[in-house]
Amino acid sequence: MKTITMDVLKDAANRLLFTMSEEEYQTLYDEFQILTKQMGNIGKIEGLEDFAPMTFPFDCTTDFLREDEAKEPLPREEVLENAGNVQDNEIKLPKVVL
Amino acid sequence: MNFEAVIGLEIHVEMKTKSKMFSSAPVGFSREPNTQVAPLDMAFPGTMPVVNKQAVINAIRVANALHMEIDHTLYFDRKNYFYSDLPKGFQITQQARPIGKNGYLEVEIDGVKKKIGIERIHMEEDTCKQLHFMDYTLLDYNRAGVPLVEIVSLPEMSNGTEAMKYVETIRNIVLYSGTSDGKMEEGSLRCDTNVSIRPIGQKEFGTKVEVKNINSFKSIEAAIDYEIKRQSQLLLSGEKVRQETRRWDEASGKTVLMRVKTDAVDYKYFCEPNITPIHLSDEFVENAIRTCPELYDSKKERYLKAGLALSDVEIILSNIDMASYFEKAMDKVKNPKDLANFLIVEINAYLNKNVLKITDLSLKPETLAEIVLLQEEGGLSHKQCADILFKVLEEPTLSPKDAQKALNIVAQVSDTGAIMGFVTQVLDANPQSIADFKAGKDRALGFLVGQIMKLSKGKVNPAEASRLLKEELLKR
Repeated sequence: MKTITMDVLKDAANRLLFTMSEEEYQTLYDEFQILTKQMGNIGKIEGLEDFAPMTFPFDCTTDFLREDEAKEPLPREEVLENAGNVQDNEIKLPKVVL
Repeated sequence: MNFEAVIGLEIHVEMKTKSKMFSSAPVGFSREPNTQVAPLDMAFPGTMPVVNKQAVINAIRVANALHMEIDHTLYFDRKNYFYSDLPKGFQITQQARPIGKNGYLEVEIDGVKKKIGIERIHMEEDTCKQLHFMDYTLLDYNRAGVPLVEIVSLPEMSNGTEAMKYVETIRNIVLYSGTSDGKMEEGSLRCDTNVSIRPIGQKEFGTKVEVKNINSFKSIEAAIDYEIKRQSQLLLSGEKVRQETRRWDEASGKTVLMRVKTDAVDYKYFCEPNITPIHLSDEFVENAIRTCPELYDSKKERYLKAGLALSDVEIILSNIDMASYFEKAMDKVKNPKDLANFLIVEINAYLNKNVLKITDLSLKPETLAEIVLLQEEGGLSHKQCADILFKVLEEPTLSPKDAQKALNIVAQVSDTGAIMGFVTQVLDANPQSIADFKAGKDRALGFLVGQIMKLSKGKVNPAEASRLLKEELLKR
């Protein structure tokens, strides 16, 4: 498990475009210390490997899959209705290339 | 210093389905912009994703063809990023639990087979199509939500040729399994490559460079080989290879810098709460595999067993429509090799001359088989049958027999006495060829058979003529 340090928190905040005070960082850091300790305690429980990882948060599965049938799409006018700018039936944006 | 390259590929394949991955909007290439869109594709509030059954079946078929372990429970995740190509602000993909893992495929180069490991195959949705101009971008959401699989190889290839063969093999699998049309030029099969080099013997990988925008098999080979050369020259001149993304520029034959990577993008993956885990029964998975159309390699093996030359098999299988045509006629002839000859030579020449595809051909496979049988059982030569074929192609209402009558074509002369007459005439007229044959020039024999065919106007059986000619030559 990744060790949560002050540098890790500052890096995460920076990536998420947050600005936080030193006091807020300290609070978050302290909370993580508790959480990490609790996770460590859970990890000590014997026989954990007999349980599947909880990839999905709720205990519900289905076997339903949608049949591959195409339905009438939206009229183009509706697709473009909320666009701020349209050119040649396409939505026009300022260029921002990733 | 000698270097070795380490290459890994990520291939995105658009699945062949009628509707999108999570919505019921139709899937259609080259349609009018923004006409194949459902509310979900535009991320309208209140819409919920529902997984397309056929997309799952297709993914299972590809995973099975790649010898992968198939996960019988489907989980989806959100890959979060803010960009105009997906209005939801995230792409639904399978990060934690791909539908297939730990597979491989084999490529054959110059008769040597190499196994290439495949890490994972996962399902996801395509993004919208962006057209970039000087200072603006146009968005067409027809492609947003089209089902995709992403196939991630292990970094186990070492040159451009291996990578090209790997992609060709994947293309053949998706094409013949009916899961995709696999067209690189239309973007239904897209390939990103990661290339690094290291001194031979070194265990650690070198700095990885990603190359994008590769639109053909030849470009894969050229782009990777160029990149290996570029990185080698950098290291030999004492410079470092930067971690960057480059694009292949077809016109200049070079990779061009797109952006320098400073840090890995953090997509903040988390499970997609709007799709509960989906259990696939053993029966469902087995049925998807059992009903998969015959794959490329299986057809190849079967055609080779039927006596076709490898080069002919590769030509036929290079076009799935031609393979389908061949398949419909092959059981109706005595020797599929004869059928292959007509298909590869005469039919292809006709299609090329008239700028047609085999699917445009009015001639039914069964009719071509009838013409082939005229050669195999009716005593006609290949040339005579080819004349009949072209007559039928010109006048599709004629049956092969009618065309034979209209062209006054009669069966080949197999009568030994009659053929001997032609053999004698030709030998008498060509003493030099007799001398050449006795001096060991085998080509003289072919020339003399050709003269017999010419003299007889193609009516004698060439195999019989050749046999008698050899006998007569030994006597002279």
